[in-house]
Amino acid sequence: MTDHRFSHEPSVAIDLSRRKDGGRSVRDSMYEVTRVAAPYVTMARLSLRRLVRDRVARAGALVLACLALVAVFADVLASDLPVACSWRGTTYVLPNVTRPAALEGLDIDRMRAQEGAGDWLVPPLVAHGPLETAGPEEQLLPPLTRGHPAGTDTLGRDVFARVVYGARTALTLGLGASFILVAIGVLLGAIAGFAGGVFDSLVTRAVEALTAIPTLVLVLVVVATVPHPTTATLVWTIALTRWTELARLVRAEVLTTLGTDYVTAARAIGATPVRILWRHVLPNAIGPAIVAAAFGVASLVQMEAAVDFLHVGMPDTMASWGEAMGEARGHEGAWWLVVFPGLALLATLVALNLVGDGARDAIDPRQAPVGGGAPTEGPGQ
Amino acid sequence: MFRYALRRILWAIPTLLATSLVLFLVTTLAPAPHAVTEDPMEDEALRGRFLDLPRFFNSNPPDVRTRTAQAVALVANGDAHSEAGARALVWLGGAALPWVLPTLESLPPDARGRVAVALAPLAERLELVHEGDLTQPDVALLFWTHFWEDRALDFTRPAVARAVGRLVEHGSDLREKDLLSLDTFALPEVVAAMAAATDGLALERLTRLAHHATRRGPELAADAAPGDVRRAIADWREWWFVHDTDFIALDGADRVLAMFTETRYGKWLKRAASGQLGVSVIDGEPIAEKLRDRAPITVLVCSVAMLLSWLLAIPIGALSAWRRGKSFDTASGAVLFVMYAMPTFAVAEVLRHMTLGTSASGARVALAVIALAVGSFATLSRWQRGAMLEVVGRDYVRTARAKGMPAWRIAVVHALRNALMPTVTLAGLHLPVLLGGAFVVEEVFALPGIGFETLRAIEAHDAAWLMAVVLVSAVAVTFGLVASDVAYGVLDPRVREVLRRRERGPQT
Repeated sequence: MTDHRFSHEPSVAIDLSRRKDGGRSVRDSMYEVTRVAAPYVTMARLSLRRLVRDRVARAGALVLACLALVAVFADVLASDLPVACSWRGTTYVLPNVTRPAALEGLDIDRMRAQEGAGDWLVPPLVAHGPLETAGPEEQLLPPLTRGHPAGTDTLGRDVFARVVYGARTALTLGLGASFILVAIGVLLGAIAGFAGGVFDSLVTRAVEALTAIPTLVLVLVVVATVPHPTTATLVWTIALTRWTELARLVRAEVLTTLGTDYVTAARAIGATPVRILWRHVLPNAIGPAIVAAAFGVASLVQMEAAVDFLHVGMPDTMASWGEAMGEARGHEGAWWLVVFPGLALLATLVALNLVGDGARDAIDPRQAPVGGGAPTEGPGQ
Repeated sequence: MFRYALRRILWAIPTLLATSLVLFLVTTLAPAPHAVTEDPMEDEALRGRFLDLPRFFNSNPPDVRTRTAQAVALVANGDAHSEAGARALVWLGGAALPWVLPTLESLPPDARGRVAVALAPLAERLELVHEGDLTQPDVALLFWTHFWEDRALDFTRPAVARAVGRLVEHGSDLREKDLLSLDTFALPEVVAAMAAATDGLALERLTRLAHHATRRGPELAADAAPGDVRRAIADWREWWFVHDTDFIALDGADRVLAMFTETRYGKWLKRAASGQLGVSVIDGEPIAEKLRDRAPITVLVCSVAMLLSWLLAIPIGALSAWRRGKSFDTASGAVLFVMYAMPTFAVAEVLRHMTLGTSASGARVALAVIALAVGSFATLSRWQRGAMLEVVGRDYVRTARAKGMPAWRIAVVHALRNALMPTVTLAGLHLPVLLGGAFVVEEVFALPGIGFETLRAIEAHDAAWLMAVVLVSAVAVTFGLVASDVAYGVLDPRVREVLRRRERGPQT
């Protein structure tokens, strides 16, 4: 310590221990200061608080959490193999997930029939997998038939299992697609707003062009044109066309932010454009991104259901609510094929929209109290 | 104002171009049926989708001249490929003659003979010689030299145009025979005349000529049914659209232009812009005709559903905003929310299950309209409520209250009038959703509209129909968006004022 002028030590040091009360009062008042100042009231925190307080959005989130649980524990709820079993001297845990070779060709009914001494099994809630077909005597059984709480469809598949695994399909695809579309939307929107010029007008044109194409029609055409459509085709088609709304919002947000004083200040102290974008501009885009993600999942769930409902070219190796509802066409009395998957679909979409709406209201600085608000496009059909 | 509208419409052009690019990229998703094979049918499938052309730029667009030169070179070599060269020469037919015969002299003697013999099947097609007459190189060479001395003057575009014009006007077997000896050289004029001809006899002669020259395509009888005539002409035009560069020469400006038009995108765009959308593989009907046949149902269902949802959404949305927080608002909000989240196909399916046994087409249309209206009604109500909420808090509403005006008068005259405009004009944004929904309800209620036909086209892999449908719906939506933008600017005096000020001020 040679030169005090250039050190970062405080120039005035208060030796608290020399105070009368041992410096407690000063210390307490400083503590008071930190305690008051600590919770910065940032926009994000405000929004989050608003979202958490929103009872309706909370209900939506609760439903979604339940659906996520169903999707995760689908194997425990419905499967053709037991959840745990001991078979011919070996104990298996979750054989319905690991599918050990020793149990190849067996299902719960057969295992029960061939059960020997020392063998035991813990069956799942419903002893049928989503892809397990059955003969004519098991087809189109009404609900509450033995072993099939929600009945069976035209191929003898258990409707309960189809609905449970449908949740897994819907949520996986929805999350995948909305992840991609949020990434594309934020990236393109931010760069367009930040860079301006040619890139900006290119993105704007692309947004307008894609807005003009009805998504369902495009999805139908793509699924029909691609030689071997998979669920990935669907995810990509929707992700690559539905990013427009978000890109527009992010671009507007970026343009607004670039005019603010704190960005000017950041520029003045020599922050690089990348730093400005990352630290000052993009955090503003988080709100729209969350809203877009919620609606993106809703959009994909709905679109996937519609495409599977119409039976266009998608392989039916996965359980899907839309496909289950499509089975009901031509079998007019089979209301359970419409009602159970339909309710699951409706619950998912309502919950997603509730969360999306709640998030949109929460990030709206004007704090639009209930629903309504700016007429932005919803999940689309 | 007018300037604003014009600018908005002009801005739609780059948007449409961008849309076309997106759709074009979708078409190229479908992979080529592998490389060119010997099988001519497969080759045709390739060319029908322009997969033989480069995507965006063709540095050397092929025309009859280059194709002829290639074929002649193959024949002149006299190796294993000469057979293919000879086939190509005969396919190019009369159109190739102006490029072969005058240059025969410059070839080495034996190559000259080979080319002349390779052209023999063409001479038979022109009905000038019998089969086996021209197997000797000397004889064949002599024949073609004489032929060119005699007929060179007929092989000019104006001469052909005159001849075809006369044939259409007056008809006569002699004129037909004359044109027949020009073979494929007359095709541009013949196909063009086909599209314009109205007379059954002329069409019979024209299609006979085209068929004779190309050995393909439909021939019409003079008394053919209108449907057959339409299909046949569509087939010829479609074929000509794909194959025209086989028979015409590109020079100067045409050649430069062809660098851009003779590409996959160029051809695709040209076809889309000319409204010539190809031919359906399901029944051979021209796509444009089919679209025109099917559109009324789709348009009817969409527009009635839209109208219905407007009529319901405006009062309900306005009322729930007016009674904000009251029981009506809460109840309608909850119901609307569920309706908003429900996918159209589920609504349609449930409706169909509830009304089993109604098969009258009127009832089915009504049900389709209701199923489609549910979603848009909910959307529009939410918009209307939002717009009304903005207005209700304004000063002039408070002033009106303070004046002691009756509440209904404030609600209708002061608030609703100002809150109406966004809902009405923003309907353009709802158009894509509405169209997608129409496809679904048509399928569920078996209404033979565009959507119903599209699902059949998907089953049959009718690429032409699918592309046409996406294109048409994208264009319709673009115009809907432009119209709602312009309407907003024109109808709302506040927006009009802003625009006027911006027009006067410096352009940014």
